[in-house]
Formats: sequence, C-alpha cells, structure tokens
Amino acid sequence: MQYTGYNLLFQSDIPLPELLSHESDKNALPDVAIRFATIGSDGLPDGKQLGPFLWVSAKELWLQIPKVARFLVQGGNTILIDPEPGIDEDSLRVFLLGSALGALLFQRGYLVIHGNAIQIGNQCMVCVGQSGAGKSTLAAGFMKRGYPILADDVVPVDKACNALPGFPRIKIWQDVADHLKIDTSGLRRIRPNIEKFNYPLQQQFAAEPLPIRWIYILGSENINNIRFEPIQGMQRYPLLYNNTYRARYLEGMEIKPLHLQLCGKLASKIRLARATRSKSGFALDQLIDHLLADMASNP
Amino acid sequence: MSGIYWLASYPKSGNTWFRSFLFNLQQNGDAPADINEISTGKIGAHRDWLDEVLGFDTAELDHEEIDRLRPEVYRWSLRDNDVGYHKIHDAYTYPSSGHPLVSCEATLGALYILRNPLDVAPSAANHWNLNIDETIERMGQHDMALARNRKGLPSQVRQRLLTWSEHVLSWVDAPGLNRLIIRYEDMLTDPITTFTQASHFLQLPTDSARIEKAIRFSDFKVLSQQEADKGFKERPVKAKRFFLNGQSGGWRNKLTPDQVQRIITDHREVMFRFGYIDASGKPL
Repeated sequence: MQYTGYNLLFQSDIPLPELLSHESDKNALPDVAIRFATIGSDGLPDGKQLGPFLWVSAKELWLQIPKVARFLVQGGNTILIDPEPGIDEDSLRVFLLGSALGALLFQRGYLVIHGNAIQIGNQCMVCVGQSGAGKSTLAAGFMKRGYPILADDVVPVDKACNALPGFPRIKIWQDVADHLKIDTSGLRRIRPNIEKFNYPLQQQFAAEPLPIRWIYILGSENINNIRFEPIQGMQRYPLLYNNTYRARYLEGMEIKPLHLQLCGKLASKIRLARATRSKSGFALDQLIDHLLADMASNP
Repeated sequence: MSGIYWLASYPKSGNTWFRSFLFNLQQNGDAPADINEISTGKIGAHRDWLDEVLGFDTAELDHEEIDRLRPEVYRWSLRDNDVGYHKIHDAYTYPSSGHPLVSCEATLGALYILRNPLDVAPSAANHWNLNIDETIERMGQHDMALARNRKGLPSQVRQRLLTWSEHVLSWVDAPGLNRLIIRYEDMLTDPITTFTQASHFLQLPTDSARIEKAIRFSDFKVLSQQEADKGFKERPVKAKRFFLNGQSGGWRNKLTPDQVQRIITDHREVMFRFGYIDASGKPL
C-alpha cells in the first residue's frame, strides 16, 4: 500500500489510514519503505546507547517500546517494525508515526521541531512547549476556527525554512474535544487504552510547504493574563534547539551539524516569542486572539 | 558516585520547605535563595524527564505502562555520574512484581518527611481546593492518586499515593531501603539537630554555621514573605497561598472534633507509631 505524507511517498506493510493514500503506481519509486521484520534485541553494534530503549548510529536508530514493538529506522528511507506478539495495529502506528517517523525525517536532513504547524495567510506558525503546555489544544482551537493545519507533533523544516505538511489528522484528547464540543463517538482512539482520538482534517489540511514566520513557546504560570515576551539575540538559538523533536536522537547522528546549522538559520528568520497563559483554566479563545494579534503586528 | 536520593513525602508535609533548605545549603549564598529559583533536582513524575530518557512520549502510554517504565528511567540516571536529589510524592510501590517504582539500583536512599495528618488535612484541603471532609476522605482512600486524569495531559504522570497511612508505611517499612525519616514537627522544634541529621544522611555539608544559615534562609517567614511579594510558581491555581501557616498543631483551630476523630480512626496505628497520638488515641 502506498501513501503520501511529509512530501514523501511511503510503501507500507501496515495500513496507514491517517496518511493520504496514493494510487499504487508500479513505476513510482517510494521514498520510504515501512516493513515488518525481525529486529535484534541488543541495539546497534556500531551505535551509541542513548537511553534504556534507544540506540543511535550515524545512519540508524533503534527504538524499543516495551510490550509494543521494536523499530529500526535506516538511512532516511526504511523503517522496520518488529511487533510484540498480540499487539494491536493502532499502537504500532502511534509510535511509527511519532518517534520512528521523526527519526527518519532527521536522517533525511530536516530540522524536526516538536510542535504543531498552522497555516496563517500564506505563512506558517509553529507552537512548541513542554508536555502538557497546551500545544494540541491550541492546534485544535485553530482548526475549529477554520485555520488549516500542516502538521501535528512532528514538524520537519527544510533548508529554506519551510515547514513541510505532514498528514491530515490531529490527535485530540477527550478533555479538549469536550471543551471544543467535538463529538468523539465516531473517532478512532489513537490506542485502545488511551483517551486520545484521531481527528481527520479533510479539507482543513494544508498540503503545501509554507515558510515559517512565527514560533511561539507555550507555557503556563500563576498569572492572570496572557503574557507575550519576544525573544531576542543569543537566547533564540538554544530555545529553538530545546524544542527540537527528541533532541537526544541527534546525539549519535551524522546529520547533527547540519541540524545545528539549520536551527541557527531558522532562529535568524522568525519571530520567536514566549506566550504564557494563566494556569487557571485554558482561556483558549483569548489565547488564539492574542496570538493572531501578535502575528498581525509582526507580519 | 552516582544515584538518587529521593526527597519523599505525602503532599503538604514539608517537602518544599526541605528543598528550600537544601538549595540554600548547596548555594551557601549571602541572602535567601529566590523561592522561584529553587532547583535541587527533578520531580520523579515529570513527563519531560521520562520522555527524554525513554525516547518516546509517555502521553501515548497508559498509567500502568508508564509505571512499569519509570524504574528504567531512574536506573539510566546512574550514567550521569552524579548524585541527584529528586522530589517524589508517589508511595513506594511495585509496578512490576518485585521491582520498586524507584529502582533499587538507582536509589542511594530516601529521606522521608512525615507530618501529623491532623495538620496535613487542612493544608491539603487548601492545596487541592477541597473542603476538609473531602480531604479526610481522600487521605483514607487506597486508590488516591495525583495527576490521574486520563482525558488530558497533565505535565506530571499519575502518582499513586494510597491512603496517608499506607503512604507512610510504604516508605518507612520498604525492605532494603536506605532511609532516614524526619518529622515536620522536629524540623520546627529542633531544626539544628533535624536538618543536620538530614544533611549527613544526604552526604551534604554539616558544618553548623552553614546549616544554621540555610535554616534561617528557608524559614517559613522568609518563604511566605517571598510568596506574598512575588508569588510562587508551585502554588496550585485554586489555592490562595502555598505557604499557609507553617506550624504544627494548627489543626486545633481548623478541625472539628468529629474531623479529628475520623482522621485518628483512619490512621490510628501509624499516628501512634510516630507519636502523634497516645495509646488511648488522644492527640499529643
């Protein structure tokens, strides 16, 4: 089965309903092959162990999700999956389309940002922040207001500082769905045991690469109003680097210098600001209004 | 040497106060450290720590899956070649058979901070934005946990507390655990002895001038004044203040006789063991 996403053509052993399916064409050479295979349990002999379940070498990344699967990502063009017996396909897809695909995009030389990319006019805004900062809530809020989404969670950036479109879905927690009055009864859970859903974007998917103009670092504090702080000068680069998708992966990869270079280039081009909201409740509409106003005054 | 000293307690039992002392002790500065800059280590349940080491998101895992992986994350910190002082509110549990959540290999020891549950109740009620009766009920529930919401994404993973008594016993009786138990009340009434003991246990400086200064710089009045002046980032949204009164025995003005009795009934054995009631069940 063939699919497209991140401007790549995938040939996959596992169905990927989240991606756009591509009419199979024998002449079209896929950019990426996703295959089931047996993967050794000892990591990478020529690599570095970077975590209890993670090995990285110049061109490969080995990742184990205990009780789910092992993944081997190779040379920017192959992802091998070795599922644990009895594991469901949704669980495989969650980690395939997250960590494994993120690693593959690194290997292909992209700067990969951990955040959500949203089309604003003919440019793109990316929201980043720690786990629980509200990235996916904000993406869902923009989506609900009619803004097209480029990518959710994994945002690859090319050498011209364009964000590449991922695939037409966002992941929505039940809490956020309740808040935005989105009915989840017809949606598929991302995994059977998690109350987070695959929300298909359909028409609201921005399918073309767009230049990144704004990056906002989301946070929350004990304050009453929303606070914007533009980040200037030397501070910009480390902040951007810290919001790389799994910066740890880069430690053993040969493309690390390229990544750092791209990070610096992007930092010099964009408006980078912290957007800190009050911890007391998520005033989503207010935050979106403030972000839109900030973007309008920094076009 | 590398490994973790856990700064363990039930919530609202003096953990932040102790960490403030610890930070002032480590900094050894000329003025009290800013309460919003206190960083003695990590928080055992923080997703950023877990996700970074795992290389995949705990957001895509359920509570039980996360609990089974946490010991692996802590064990990984042995490679840091450093001693970490990390805060933990979880009870000492065994997510997979025989293996404690905190990882035996990674744990150098645990400083367990204990506080009279009669004082914990009003303080936790303020912190959790519950009334005192509801709080007493939670403190007696075996399935009590922090950050248990499964419908969204709190920045910390679920932490099982168990009942207040079970929490205490899980740590103080954990087999093979190198531990020091200190009581909040002793931190107040005999600070020099108690904090010196704790510093010694944690392999930190114990010279008396330095200890005395760190105690002074982390005094309740200092912490509470800083919160009044500048706010405190760890204050829960719905609580008016984090540093509420910093006393022991405040319960006498805050709990009804019936509430006192319920707490004693729920936690009699442990309260007696740690000197909070006498043999007849009368508060001391």
